[in-house]
Amino acid sequence: MAAYSVDLSTGNNYFDLNDILASQEKIPCIFNIAVEGLGYLDQSTPDPDIGVGTKLELPLWLAKYLHRDARGIVSVETPKTYREGYRQILAADPSVVDLHRLGPHFYLGGGKLALFNLPDIQDVLKTLLQTFQGRFRRIMDGSQNALHTDLTNQINMLDESERRLFAAGQRGLLEFQSWESRESEKLSTSSVVLNQRKRKWVGACRDSGD
Amino acid sequence: MLAEKALDLVRELQRSLDGTLPPYNEDKIRQVLEEMQTLFDQNKDKAHFAAEGQTHLLSAIQLRHAAIRRNKRCLLAYLYNRLEQIKKMRWEFSSVLPSDVKYNLCEQEVQWFNQYNRLLANYMRSLGENGGLDLTQDMKPPKALYVLVRCLVDHGEFETQDGTTILLKKNSQHYLMRAECEHLIRQGILEHIVQ
Amino acid sequence: MQADEIEARLLRKTFTLFDFKGLEMLIKDFKRDFYDTLQRQRVLVLVAFDVDALCACKVLQYLFHCDQVVYTVVPVDGLQGLEQAYLENAEGIKHVVLINCGATVDIVELLQPEEHVRFYICDSHRPVDIHNFYNAVQVKLLMREDELSTIPSYDEVFRDDDEESNQSGEESDDPDSGYKKKRFDDESILRRQERRRWNEERVRILFDYTKFTSYGTSVALVMFESAWKLSKDTNSLLWLAIVGVTDQYVHFKTPRDKYMEDIIALQSHVSRHNQRGSDGESLLSVNCLRISFEEELHLNLYRHWTLFDSICHSMPIACKLRLWTLKGQKRLHEFLAEMGLPIVQCKQQFSAMDMTLRSEVKARMQEYMNKYGLENQDIVLPSFSMQFGYRNLLCATDYVLACAATLESLDASSIQTDNFLLASDILQRSNPEKTDTALEAARVQLRSLVSQVQSSLDMHQIISAGPFLYVFVQEGTADSRFFSQPLSLIRLARFTLQAHCSVTRNKKAHSLPLVLGAPLSLDEGTCLIIGIPPLDTDDERKNFFGKAFEQAADSTNMTVKCNGFDSFIIEMRVEDRSKFFDALISILQ
Repeated sequence: MAAYSVDLSTGNNYFDLNDILASQEKIPCIFNIAVEGLGYLDQSTPDPDIGVGTKLELPLWLAKYLHRDARGIVSVETPKTYREGYRQILAADPSVVDLHRLGPHFYLGGGKLALFNLPDIQDVLKTLLQTFQGRFRRIMDGSQNALHTDLTNQINMLDESERRLFAAGQRGLLEFQSWESRESEKLSTSSVVLNQRKRKWVGACRDSGD
Repeated sequence: MLAEKALDLVRELQRSLDGTLPPYNEDKIRQVLEEMQTLFDQNKDKAHFAAEGQTHLLSAIQLRHAAIRRNKRCLLAYLYNRLEQIKKMRWEFSSVLPSDVKYNLCEQEVQWFNQYNRLLANYMRSLGENGGLDLTQDMKPPKALYVLVRCLVDHGEFETQDGTTILLKKNSQHYLMRAECEHLIRQGILEHIVQ
Repeated sequence: MQADEIEARLLRKTFTLFDFKGLEMLIKDFKRDFYDTLQRQRVLVLVAFDVDALCACKVLQYLFHCDQVVYTVVPVDGLQGLEQAYLENAEGIKHVVLINCGATVDIVELLQPEEHVRFYICDSHRPVDIHNFYNAVQVKLLMREDELSTIPSYDEVFRDDDEESNQSGEESDDPDSGYKKKRFDDESILRRQERRRWNEERVRILFDYTKFTSYGTSVALVMFESAWKLSKDTNSLLWLAIVGVTDQYVHFKTPRDKYMEDIIALQSHVSRHNQRGSDGESLLSVNCLRISFEEELHLNLYRHWTLFDSICHSMPIACKLRLWTLKGQKRLHEFLAEMGLPIVQCKQQFSAMDMTLRSEVKARMQEYMNKYGLENQDIVLPSFSMQFGYRNLLCATDYVLACAATLESLDASSIQTDNFLLASDILQRSNPEKTDTALEAARVQLRSLVSQVQSSLDMHQIISAGPFLYVFVQEGTADSRFFSQPLSLIRLARFTLQAHCSVTRNKKAHSLPLVLGAPLSLDEGTCLIIGIPPLDTDDERKNFFGKAFEQAADSTNMTVKCNGFDSFIIEMRVEDRSKFFDALISILQ
């Protein structure tokens, strides 16, 4: 049931698995200070240290930590997919863009950029909002009205939080239908048991196949 | 890359949270702890020098510290989300976990489950006037006292509240008290047939 | 004889304990004698594997749901299954309902129940075992009273004189002393003579009584009428009763007259439940079940097939036109052409046929049938059809075929009880996909049935043994596996006999019964043998093969198994077959 909570906020949800995954998105960083002994992070040079001016893509969680104090071990740039060029594409027609390819956690990751003082951050955030607004109609439409059509193509283009939204919509529709046909009265086997059984079955098939 | 293994754990859990509980990945957890230990040891060494004035080491210490915190967050999230799942299962299956589910828990998780069980049982006993109230029953509002069920597996004998035993044999149909067989339905032994 | 006598004596003892005459063996008041006694009790329901029983079971389940009677339903496939199911589930059970099983055997003898267990038998198999009938304490019969009029009176089969039993008891205990004592006792000699006469008479009466097996009213109909008397009948239950009655007709259990009688009774219920005003507001939602009476085309599954195929697979018309021959096919083409039905249309799905043609098929057939030697009876069957949701009409005969095909599904992945539940789901109507699969299975069954008939005829395998005809289904052919199940076997036997009669030059064929053998299990080397009565006794549908098989088996000392509830279908080893047939011939001559 928790599966349908769609959390687009940048709020620090410490235990949230999606938040953890989103904070793994990369952001380009430039090192202002040399870091000794951690050269292995930069696979392009055999240098044991990271020198001043090194450009490196770091995950958001790390960049955030290194960037946060005033001294700033690193300074950050806007990631490519949130820059002007992509912003224009998204402004033109948000509904045709493959957001999943741009970053599976496009909104969550984009939201996290607000923590860095990037010069174009206001534009980025505006784009996020407009993109979502532009795409929401289609997501809603697809999840509510096309139960028996193959929507794989559409779903493939959605970012992770959009997918959760889509699934929530579809689930709502299914539950409504089962209520209508009095199916919801039916006590059902727990999904945990069903999945466990399915896995066992698949496992058994594989064993016998080998 | 730093904290990569911890992220694997999170990914693994995320993939299977839609109903199942994956086996407790003891091996990976050990590897993550080892990574944290290494980072910590390195920082301890360097911190010593940094305190003596070699401030150029501070940046590396901070970076490693960030990695340690990241690892910690991933591990805690892994454990926490598993516990949430286990808690949910208490409500899905009653106090006894199916053996194949139990098999995927680590010992501490089993202990936690038992304690949670006890707490819940005590609380339920304290409810109401006489003898408590089973909160796990009627998770959906019941429409009838009795339900028609079909037996999906050869389960063997089952004793009802009035003391009679019923043989639950595959494909036999029974009309039983809803309260008595709800758990068996949840566990996939019986199938509820809606008329 | 000795055994019979002892048995009669034992029973007499049991009965004298109770004032038997005050007790009713028949359930006359369904509510008082049956329904009310089951309230707040746990009931075990044992159901035979046939469509009628399944329907009756569903009606009963509905009644139990209304009043929250707790029960367990177990399908049973034969006497062994019955015994096992009872043993497994008997614990704590005081009331057992038997549906379409158990009436023809002494149920108390078979199951050895504890004294407080009561059996309620609702079974269309006849004759009812006299022990069931006269054991008014433990066994109650739920059937129509007028159908039990042939049962021998109590005094004819059981004797009540205690003195006699004591004496003969001593006699058998100690023959020598008894012999001496009574040697000159005239009175006793007279009494013994009289007794012997009575015994002979008893055997004769019992033989006459059990000579023929037949079927009574459909159990689904009996159950439905009981529900009606409780004012608990619904349209859905009515449909179940219709399917039950139709099942009896489709599987040649009841003659056409009896079928018509039941249909007329059902029709009044149908109009009661489906009465609608013509104005718009009383229109039912599409999701309601609607049943209508119709002079239905008696063509199997034609709504779900092509008209052409359907005609070729329907017994009356296929036999009259001999559709398995080239000439027959020509005649059919001619017939269709004369009716103005283009062959292209007839060979596509009926639902895709031209609307106007579709609606006129029946009228045109009736118009031209006489020229082709067809009678109205061959083409039209008064029946019912139902509509539910937006789906096609389903008529009762197709429904029966679909259910029977599901019950006897040969799907290797499912066990027999799976089929029972699946058929039960189809009767529930909730899942149209399952119904479609079942209809497809029925088509496959019909195809294999007709091709089997055709090959028997083509290869002249139907042979006259003098008093009867016989034919064997060849082992190992692709279709033979279909006929290892009773319902398909009955239909095959009947189709074969009818087809044979329509081609043979032998005038006597109509008065000859048919015995048909089909392989059951190749591994165990067993086969099924079925005997069906001759066509000219068709308005009675009484079968004497149950008794004949029994006697043939006795005279050859063979072990044959009659595991189903129909005694005219038996199972035996393939190698015993010829010996068995010799015995059968000498008995029937």
